[in-house]
Amino acid sequence: MALNPALRHSEFRIADEYPYERRTAVRWIFSHLWRHRLFFVFGLLSSAGSMFLHSLVPRLTGQAFDTLLLGAEARAALLRIVLAVLAVAAARCAVDLASYFVKQTLASRFQRDAREELEISLLGKSQTFHNQQRIGDIMARATNDVNQLGEMIMPGATLILDSVMAVIFPLILMAAIHPQLLIVPLVYVAVLIAALKRYNRRLNPVSGALQMQYGHMNAGLTEAITGIELVKSTAREALELDKFLRNAGRHRDYFMQQGRIQALYWPMLYLGIGLTVMFAHSLWLVSQNQITLGDLVAFMGLAYLLRFPTFISIFTFTLVQMGRAGAERILALINQDTELDENAQGHAAAIRGRVEFDRVHFAYAGNAALQDVTFTVEPGESIAIVGQTGSGKSTLTKLVNRIFDCSQGAVRIDGVDVKDWNLAALRRQISTIEQDVFLYSRSLAENIGFGQGRHASRTGIEEAARAAQAHDFIVGFQDGYATEIGERGVTLSGGQRQRIAIARALLTDPRILILDDSTSAVDSATEDEIQRAINAVMAGRTTFLITHRIAQIRKASKILVLAQGRVVDVGTHRELMARCELYRRIFLRDETPRANGRLR
Amino acid sequence: MGFMMDGLDAEDYDRTYTDRALLARILGYFRPHAGVMAFVSVMLLLNSLMDTALPILTARGVDALAQDFTLGAAWPLVGAILLAGILAWTFNYFRQRKTAEVVARVVYQLRQDAFAAVMARDMSFYDEFPSGSIVSRVTSDTHAFSNTVTLTLNLLSQILLVLILAVALFVINARLAWIAIAMAPFVVAAALSFRHIARNVSTQVRRVMAQVNATVQETVAGIAVAKNFNQEQAVFDTFQDVNARSYALNLRQGFVFASIFPILFLLAGAATAIVLYFGGVDALAGAITPGEWFLFITSIEIFWFPLTSIASFWSQFQLGMSAAERVFALIDAEPRVVQNDRRPVGRLQGRIRFANVDFRYSEKEQVLDRFSLDIQPGETVALVGHTGAGKSSIGKLVARFYEFQGGRIEVDGQDIRDYDLHAYHRQLGIVNQLPFLFSGTVRENIRYGRSEADDDAVERVARSIGGGFWLDALPQGLDTDVGEAGSRLSLGQRQLVALARLLVQNPSVIILDEATASVDPLTEAQIQEGLENVLRERTAIVIAHRLSTIQAADRIIVMQQGRIIQEGAHASLMAEAGHYAELYATYFRHHALDYQLA
Repeated sequence: MALNPALRHSEFRIADEYPYERRTAVRWIFSHLWRHRLFFVFGLLSSAGSMFLHSLVPRLTGQAFDTLLLGAEARAALLRIVLAVLAVAAARCAVDLASYFVKQTLASRFQRDAREELEISLLGKSQTFHNQQRIGDIMARATNDVNQLGEMIMPGATLILDSVMAVIFPLILMAAIHPQLLIVPLVYVAVLIAALKRYNRRLNPVSGALQMQYGHMNAGLTEAITGIELVKSTAREALELDKFLRNAGRHRDYFMQQGRIQALYWPMLYLGIGLTVMFAHSLWLVSQNQITLGDLVAFMGLAYLLRFPTFISIFTFTLVQMGRAGAERILALINQDTELDENAQGHAAAIRGRVEFDRVHFAYAGNAALQDVTFTVEPGESIAIVGQTGSGKSTLTKLVNRIFDCSQGAVRIDGVDVKDWNLAALRRQISTIEQDVFLYSRSLAENIGFGQGRHASRTGIEEAARAAQAHDFIVGFQDGYATEIGERGVTLSGGQRQRIAIARALLTDPRILILDDSTSAVDSATEDEIQRAINAVMAGRTTFLITHRIAQIRKASKILVLAQGRVVDVGTHRELMARCELYRRIFLRDETPRANGRLR
Repeated sequence: MGFMMDGLDAEDYDRTYTDRALLARILGYFRPHAGVMAFVSVMLLLNSLMDTALPILTARGVDALAQDFTLGAAWPLVGAILLAGILAWTFNYFRQRKTAEVVARVVYQLRQDAFAAVMARDMSFYDEFPSGSIVSRVTSDTHAFSNTVTLTLNLLSQILLVLILAVALFVINARLAWIAIAMAPFVVAAALSFRHIARNVSTQVRRVMAQVNATVQETVAGIAVAKNFNQEQAVFDTFQDVNARSYALNLRQGFVFASIFPILFLLAGAATAIVLYFGGVDALAGAITPGEWFLFITSIEIFWFPLTSIASFWSQFQLGMSAAERVFALIDAEPRVVQNDRRPVGRLQGRIRFANVDFRYSEKEQVLDRFSLDIQPGETVALVGHTGAGKSSIGKLVARFYEFQGGRIEVDGQDIRDYDLHAYHRQLGIVNQLPFLFSGTVRENIRYGRSEADDDAVERVARSIGGGFWLDALPQGLDTDVGEAGSRLSLGQRQLVALARLLVQNPSVIILDEATASVDPLTEAQIQEGLENVLRERTAIVIAHRLSTIQAADRIIVMQQGRIIQEGAHASLMAEAGHYAELYATYFRHHALDYQLA
């Protein structure tokens, strides 16, 4: 099985993933449908069967009218025909039920598969990719767009299929009555198709703009309400009302424009004209004795069936177009290449902990984030990285475990370039405690044991929690370690989250630790506990430390001062205080006694 | 769809309007468009008449055929049918077009009223109600209402058509007419019972969809953790579980929804068969003409669609009405902060006096109890105390965000309730823990409080904070896009922008609820410098979390349970070894440079 090009670079994949065709949205949709081809084919056939049966009813009605000419046997013939109508209706019901079920299954499977495909792809993307995406945007694709895929099949494509069948079968049966009767309907269908194309061409941009404007209006409103305190305290209510009315007014205008286009739905007029011409034509044929009265009734009955495709087309094409647009957005996300890969054949060994940055450059979204960064950390040392927000502190640490790859130079661990390490082996031995601690909505025990998956033992978890100063508050909860966190469970404070994260990191016993620590402790007691936890986790490990706690910075083995992506200086606290102006700035403020009175 | 559901939870300010009041209120919004609505009604009636004329005229044609038929006699009939078709379309066009226009204008007006009402609410309103639900009332509830109006008008035209046609059928043959509509109750009953089943399944589907979304969201939000710990597979397994459950429920819902149409079609088939038979019997007996028989058969189809939509209409209609009710409740919510006068406000000196002020947010808890405090012009007062001591309430009362229940608050010797609130607010500068930025550039945000400030002034002010060093860290300086709610800036940068904004606004009184979240030491140094600029020469109330700010205040007010228990300067308060010393040990000890583990 040849691998899909988009699959080649990925940090995560599952066994026997189905190879979907990802070159274009349409191909992708069909490859999904083709995966369940039996359902697909049966859906087609059952639609045809249903519409065929439906078209029989006008034919039977026509025959009923012809019984008027029969005289004595008329009653019995009528009864036979009526029973046939009932039988056809029952048969159609059965076919329809089967047909809808099949199509619904197809639609639901499509949704399920697409969502799964998206999830696998998201898990496989590099951190660089994730940093550039907004969660809301990805969520919109995973929810709205995937839903639209389902709606595209059911009812969207199903209705289009039914519409096509509702043209084909009546036309066939019309031809069976008298070939000449086909002329007007054929012309009408051609006109209908052209008119629908034009209608959609006019409507789509306006509907799109309307939808977008609704989003703008909502976003603007949300902003005004979230910032209400600012609005009020600066007395800018009038300005906000103005902004909102501009948005709402634009929405109103698009709405009216859409209303005008929808009101001007030409196909319905063409249908009215078409039906009249068909009626006149059939009258003429009756007058020429080419067809009977019953034939005319049957023909008009069949002609009325054309109302369905004419009328329903207002909705169906929009649904299919929305589905296709959704597919395009999902596919764009899946197909975005991810720069890193697993490097399964790479170097795998126990890390000792020597980290070396050698003239490292890194550019991020076109902007140079790090330039010419060189320094070394010895095993077991701690290095504090100091600099303003945006100076590249976090970025620097992310080059160590290959969340990012540097664009020039090299990052080496124990003398081996990180790019030559087996990615799994590398990451397993490096732990990061992030700025915004992320915990899963699971139990506390599962969160702490996360790195070991199912192998985490209860004693191990508790030991780690104790070392991280988390045990005491955990057992304080009613359900202890089984306490669920997140929406359905308890909310943890920043300090508590941080200690859980430290316990989680301790349990995997990493050799290199990255501590991006900027959570503020609200009180000194919590701060004491966090400090103890951090001290425990740092012991014997190479540690990269980003912190706002100046007392901690001072204690680091080395301090690296960054400014706008460049190394300003590296050294111990004492050395830097002596020679680095930028570094001194941090401490100066607090070392000037100012307890006495007014600010100057 | 998610936000549509947000608005469905009842809020405190919700009220139930009588049907009459609700209807009168709704009609009030249509009154300015009475002329157009009359026109729409006429179009609606004419459209229905033409739609009825079509099958009747065609039936006439069939009758003509059954008798001695001449093509010449048929031409006027064909002409009439064509005319009726064209007219029906034309009337419908005008009806829809004008309806869309009126609905758009009514919704616009409704949104304007709702937004103006929202802006006029005091802060207690925003504390109580989540912004998401307020937003959904202004946008999606009004949207739901407009859908209902359109839906109602569409259904009305269909019902009108059915009624006119039914009258025609009864005139032709009452017995056959009864037979033709005999199936109607079954159709409505079937549709209604399906709705009931469908609703149960839909609730479950909504729930499981929420779980799926939460799981995907967790995947994305926690991707860094999953990667760090090499646990992508575990995350994927969790997702697989939920996805499979969602698939199963989705399928069930689909089956329920999908089975309604085949069954309705079956009923339609049965109705056609019945009319075909009894009509045929009558036609054979000569009781009705073949044309009339034809008309009855055609009518079954015409009846069908409105019947099925009547079943679903009522619940849609109720949804629309309750949406309207929610919007009106929002518009009618009573403000709690009431001004007695609208005295103009110039530059304030900043003398603030609390005299025996009683204040509570709700009946349950007294926040301030006969609270008194005098603040001198230009003074910086730091408020310290445990959470719930009432520090923030003092700032909020000075900002007049809340109504107090007893005592007096004076600003420059004037009762705070006598000022023109807008003008008063212009003299206040408030900076929060989490400063809010509007999307746009840094420059636009700095200018927000005073739009007439020119680029030079903005630049000058921005440079005055921390030597302008912070601007260099922004990729495009003052023209940097701050992102949604300032999301592209760090917290520290947002605080700096807020400080600059405050300086440009140049208020006479400052209320500062300092950030607890610490920022990097370099930025903190800059914020500190900026603060010094802001507080100079102005009255300031600071709810302090930073040791350095507290130490720099003119006076420290130590609060406990809504009362002042100590006041003075840092050194003397520390010496007293009272509540302040205890607060210091609890909150501020670790800010000190020589902090050691306790």
